[in-house]
Formats: sequence, structure tokens, C-alpha cells
Amino acid sequence: MNTPIMSVAGIGKQFGGLVALKDVTADFREGQITAIIGPNGAGKSTFFNILSGALKPSTGTLRFRGADMAGVPQHDYVHRGIARSYQITNIFPNLTVIENVRVAAQAFRSRLNIWTNRDLYKDIEEKAAATLASVGLSARAGMLAKFLAHGQQRALEIAIALVADPALLLLDEPTAGMGPEETREMVALIEKLAVDRTILLVEHKMKMILGLSDRVLVLHHGQLLADGTPKEIQANSEVRRVYLGQNDGYA
Amino acid sequence: MTVQLIAMQLFSGLALGAVLIMVALGLSIIFGMLGIVNFAHGALFMVGAYAGLYVAGLTGSFWWALVLAPVLIGLFGMLIERFLIRPLYGRSPDDPLLLTFGLGYVLVEAVRILFGTDGIPFSTPAALRGVVNLGIGFFPLYRLFVIGVVCTVLLLLWIGLEKTKFGLIVRAGSADPLIMRVLGVDISKLWLVVFGIGVGITALGGVLAAPMRNVSPEMGTLVLAEAFVVTVIGGMGSLAGAVVAGLIVGVAVSMTSLFAPEMATIVMFALMALILLVRPNGLYGRAAPGL
Amino acid sequence: MSIVRDAEIAATPTRGGFATLFSNVNRWRVPLSVLALCILPWILPSQALAVNVLIYGLVAVGYNLLFGYTGLLSFGHAAFFGAGAYATGIAIGAFGVNWFAAMLIGLAVAAVLSVIMGVLAIRTRGIYFSMVTLALSQLVYYSALQASSWTGGENGLRGFTVSVLNFPGFSLNFLDPMIKYYAIMVIVALALWFVSRVLNSPFGAVIEAIRENETRARACGYDVERTKLLSFVLSGILCGLAGTLSAMHLSIVPLDSLHYHTSGLIVMMTLLGGAGSFFGPFVGALAFLSMEDVFSLWTSNWQLIVGVIFILFVLYLPKGIWGTLISWWKSR
Repeated sequence: MNTPIMSVAGIGKQFGGLVALKDVTADFREGQITAIIGPNGAGKSTFFNILSGALKPSTGTLRFRGADMAGVPQHDYVHRGIARSYQITNIFPNLTVIENVRVAAQAFRSRLNIWTNRDLYKDIEEKAAATLASVGLSARAGMLAKFLAHGQQRALEIAIALVADPALLLLDEPTAGMGPEETREMVALIEKLAVDRTILLVEHKMKMILGLSDRVLVLHHGQLLADGTPKEIQANSEVRRVYLGQNDGYA
Repeated sequence: MTVQLIAMQLFSGLALGAVLIMVALGLSIIFGMLGIVNFAHGALFMVGAYAGLYVAGLTGSFWWALVLAPVLIGLFGMLIERFLIRPLYGRSPDDPLLLTFGLGYVLVEAVRILFGTDGIPFSTPAALRGVVNLGIGFFPLYRLFVIGVVCTVLLLLWIGLEKTKFGLIVRAGSADPLIMRVLGVDISKLWLVVFGIGVGITALGGVLAAPMRNVSPEMGTLVLAEAFVVTVIGGMGSLAGAVVAGLIVGVAVSMTSLFAPEMATIVMFALMALILLVRPNGLYGRAAPGL
Repeated sequence: MSIVRDAEIAATPTRGGFATLFSNVNRWRVPLSVLALCILPWILPSQALAVNVLIYGLVAVGYNLLFGYTGLLSFGHAAFFGAGAYATGIAIGAFGVNWFAAMLIGLAVAAVLSVIMGVLAIRTRGIYFSMVTLALSQLVYYSALQASSWTGGENGLRGFTVSVLNFPGFSLNFLDPMIKYYAIMVIVALALWFVSRVLNSPFGAVIEAIRENETRARACGYDVERTKLLSFVLSGILCGLAGTLSAMHLSIVPLDSLHYHTSGLIVMMTLLGGAGSFFGPFVGALAFLSMEDVFSLWTSNWQLIVGVIFILFVLYLPKGIWGTLISWWKSR
């Protein structure tokens, strides 16, 4: 399992005069959990948005399973096997919980069919129900998503990405705003998911990252500062200086 | 078809463009700051023209109308913001749009009741009648005056925005409304004033246009569409865009009416369609709103 | 705009059997609508009003597909209503085409126009969309004004009449008011059935997802622009159908049917009834046209009253009549 599933080479992104990301090169190997960390404004979100297709890089290339993703529109990313969750909960608030997941699953079967009754797509419904069960939300299936508690919305957030059955799952701060108990549950979920897929996550909670990930990338001022195992990153003096030393991540 | 004729038509286009600039500016200022599209904009233009007519009738002076009508309608605009639009902040951006559409309906009907349904001629003030020799031909003095007034307003607006503390706050606020809260600026007062100014500028456009067009309850209908066209071409929320696009549309319309008069009403919409194909955010547009 | 969502009503936990009742009403929504339309001419003061409710109800239903379900506030749908009407009228008047072919021509023209306008307007987002649709529909309006040799210009299109609907084997007297009403109603009922199927289809789920969260719908793998375009075109075709019916009903197409004021009426009706619900648009058309009918007897300035009522709805009852009724019933 040593082939890179995704590789970025010389990726950079400018917004007007502002350089958000500069010359980032990295390979992501299949089956690994990779964490991306860095202080606020380090370019994590920009990097993440490029990996998920929401932004196109100004320079450099992004390859997924060897294919250049430059001309691929964002909505095709998920069909190629890349799905993402969002830092700020980004669900369909006025749809029911099950419909949130069902509509995401449906993208793989029918997108512009205006005639068939959607209740006839039993396989989609079953897949959605199974995914919902895997994140522990079955009991809430009939509720409107906006009425879910915060932690449950985070779980739904992941279920929407997960139902695509992606080879590469991008998680943007999956434990944002969660208490210790909910965080533990989320870590357990991520570990379960990692068994048969590659995971890339942005996180702030340092203890969690060091315990969970196989590899850590550190971004600073839009550049790749360090790339290694959690142990190597902990030992890296420069990383300690710009990031770990600030102590805000250890909370 | 002489060069002189074309040059004169170019000047007519500038005068037409000047009025368009006023309308688009009012729309753009309000959008840039409050993030709402005022669909009563055309109706307020028309109300401005009627207010000018009314004030001119009371005082017997066009000059009073030119000054008082925009101020009165600007204050009226503040009332609209305070009592009708403010309750809608925090709701979908469609809501103020729908509300102002209904308001436009009401204003047109109210003017019909107060002033009748027929158009009323608005005579050019005596001092501005006649023509001036521009060297290449004779040009109506009043149109030259309109160009002058609009240039003055633009200059005042530029000074107000670039050189005053109020302008600084407005510019910062349209770039990022959140900053205003952080800085402790009372944003609701600011929005009130900005809405008033936007409406006042439109009303001034209405008074200026009155001697060139007939004053009628329906005169705002076309103006609303024109303002949208200019704003879409220039780029939503961009003041420079409003000016450039206003002039482009004015000149395009007036040139078309010289060469192909039957296309004159159509050309500006076609121009907008073209811009949408090439630059969906307009000439000076930033990223599309609603993102 | 808060939108009454059928899903929301069905999903909200309520006392008693409301959810069950609602889901039953929803399952039988097409037959129930048709039943209501069947008795409409017998309860309304005039048959002319009933036909107007049919036609404008259909316009509002078509518009609601885009506004209520897809979340796009168009101010240009008069273009499709008017284009359908003009195309049908010209096909009958100038080319002597039979009524059925003329209807198909009306639909085709509305479809082509909505593709062109849709492609342009969907390039823009948010509030831009409303402005652009309004401006593009005015382009259609002024084009029709200029092409007066075809359209009759300011006087509107005249000189065509449908007096008999010929079918293979039989024919209907379209001049008989009751036969006319029920003939039009059959077509409207078919359109309602079509809309109901669209809303139940996978596509119906996607447009609601786009209304709820465009970014996420895109990340889920949906081509948002193409989906919006399809919704725009379907909605345009339905409004075009209403236009062809209006032309055949009135035997005249007023130029104003292309004006953005007509678009505004469509928006108002949809909103008054309740956007995003199946029954809302018809309720809205019925309420709006009844108001017009009553107020215009008292005063020629009835638009003032209608405008004030609309403003009050935006401020205080954004869910519209149907949506508010449902909320009230639910919380009893």
C-alpha cells in the first residue's frame, strides 16, 4: 500500500495580492491518516479547499490516482472518490436527517431524472440508512436536520461525506466545538473509517492528532514547514517554536 | 451622416448616461453597504420627479426643487429603511427585495391618486433653455447642465467617501460589515443614512430627468430596468462601475438611435447579455454576491 | 424568504395525527387539487374569475418550482408566459395552425426562450439573478414592442380565435364558458400531475437540496448549474403552457403580459399562497384574483391595497396563506 493516492506538486494560491499558499508539494499514501496542522492563517483551509476541488490552484498540479485534476469541476470530485466534510456544519437544515444522507447517496444513481418516483430507489434508501446507523443517528432519521444537537450535526456532516463511499475522505476539523466525550466518540469513528480508506484531516486538538494520525503536515505562512510522523513533528524544534509552543492547540 | 452629427449624438449620450449614473449610483450605494437590492428604486426616481414638480409649483423655482426634492425624498427613504426594511435584516436577502417590489407598487398607485394618471409636462427653467454652440454644433443648454450637475455630485461623493471619516466608515463597512461591529460603530444608524443618501441621489436623478422626459407615474418602470442593466454591466456595488457603465449605456443607446432607431430600447439589454457571457460579475465586479 | 416546506411539515413532531393526515393529503395532492378545481366555477362569483384562477394558478405552480423549490427568485417569468401566448396566437392567426399544434408551438418557444435566458441568468448568483432575469425579460418585452408587424406592438396581438377544439372523432365548443373552463382544467390537471411527479423524482430532491445548501449540493456531486437550468426551463415551460391557455381563452395577447409587472404578479401570487408548497400557489392565485375582483369594484386604485397587503405578508406572514394555516393548525 505504498502508491500515493493523491499527490500535490508545487501548489500555490493567490487571492489578489495575497499569497495564501506557496509551493506545497506532498504525496498522500493509501490507507494512512494524515493530519494537516498550522496556526490560524497558515493556509490550511485554502489547501483543503484545493484538495477537495472547491478552489483551483494558481500554480502547481493536483493528481488523484495519477490523473491531473486541473480540468475537473468540483462536483466531479466526489464521483472520482474524494469526499469532504466541512468545518462549519454544512448540512441541509430544512430536510430530514435521512433525506440529508439520501440526497447525497442519490448523486451516484440519478441526478436529473425528473420522472421516476424516488421512493423506488430502495438501494439508495438502504445505503443512506446504513450510513446513518454507522454514525449513530438512526434514532433521529425523521427529524429535521436543523433540530439536531451540535455533536449530532457534526456526525451527520460526516455521514453525508461518507455515503459517497470515498477512497479519500477529507475531514475539516471534525471535532470543532465538541466536548471531550463527543471528541472521543468522533476519534473512535475516524479510526473505524480509516480501516478501508485514506483520511486527511485538519485539526486543532493536538493530543488527538498525535494519537490518531500516521503522518502530520505542518503549514506555516502558506508554506510546508514540516512533514513527518507525529513523533518527528513533536521533536521538530521549528514546529515547536511556531506552533506547539503557542500552546493554544493543546487545550 | 457627418462627423458633427455623430459628435453631437455622443454628447446626447453623455447626458443620457449622466441620468443613468445617478440611478445606478443610488442602487449601488445601497447594495454595497446594506447588501439589499431596492426594487422600489424606479418608483422612488418617479416620486423624486413628482416631488420636484410639487416643490417647483410651490416655490415657483426650479432651483428649490433641485435642492429640496432630493432631501425630502432622501428623508422619506430613511423612513422606509427604519420601518419597513430594518425588520427584515437577518432574514433571506430575497425578503427586502420582495418588500421593496411591493412598495414600488404602492408608490406608483399613491402618485396616481395624488397627481392623476396622466403625464405632466415639466418645463425647463428659463435660464437653462436654448442651445449652446460647442464649436461642432448646437447642443441643448439643459443637457449640458445635467452633465455638470452629475459631475458635481460625483465629485462631492468622491470627496465624501475618500476624504471624510464618514466615508472611511462606509468603505470599511461595505468591505466587511463585521468589522463595524468589532469597532463599535452603530451600524443601524449608518445604514439609515446610507439608504437615505442612495434614495436622495435617485430622487435627484428624477428631478434632473423631469424636463427631458415627461413626468408620469410609469416613468420609473423603465428606469428600474435601466438601473439594473447599468449595475449588472458595471458590477454590483462598484461606484466606478456605475459611472463607466452608465456612460457606456448612455452612448450606446444614443448612437443606436442615430443609426438604427428601432433598436434603441433593445441595445442596452443586449449589451448586458453580452457582458454576462464574458464577465458574469460585471466590468468592475468582485466575486458575485451571495457567496 | 421563509418557505413552507412540505418535508418540514411532514417531519415536525406534532400532537395527534397531523403528520399522518398531512402525508395522506400530500399523497392525494393531485386528485384533491383537481376536485377543488372542479367545484371552483360553482363557488366563485364569475366564470371569468374561475378561468383566471386556473391560468394564473398554473403560472404560479410553474414559478413555484423555481422559486419555492429551487430557491431562485426570478423576476422574468412574464417572458415565458407572454412568449407562450404570443407564439400560440401568431401560429393560429398568421399561419392558421390548429389549436393543438399551436399549443405545442407555444410550449416550444417558451422552452427555447427559457434555455437562452436560463443560460445567461444562471451564470450569476444571489441577488444578481433577480435583476438579470428582470432585465432579460424586458429585452423580450421591447423586442415584442418593436416587432409590431408580428405582435401588434402596443395594441397587443389580435385577430385569432379558437372557437372549437377538434379531437379525432369529436369536437368541443370552446365558446361555451363551462366547456371552456373544464377543457382548460383538464390541461391544468395534467400539468399538476406532471409537477407532482417532478417533485417526487430524484431531481425534485436535488433542487430542494440546492435551495437548502448550494455549496453542499455541489460537494455531494451535483452539477448545480445544470440542475438549476433544468429547473428554470421546466418552470418556464409550465408558465409558457399557461400563456398558450391564456391566449386561447382571451383571443388576444396584451403586450403587458410580457412586462415585468406581470412577473411581479406571479411572484406576489406565489408568495401570498405560500412558496415551496404544492397547494400554496393555487391558493395564492385564488386569493390575489379574488382580491382584485372585490377591490376593483370599490376603487380603481385597488393596486394600492394589494401592494399594502403584499408588504404586510412579507413582513408578518412570510409563509403565505397556506403555510400560515398549516402552522396554525399544527400548533392548535
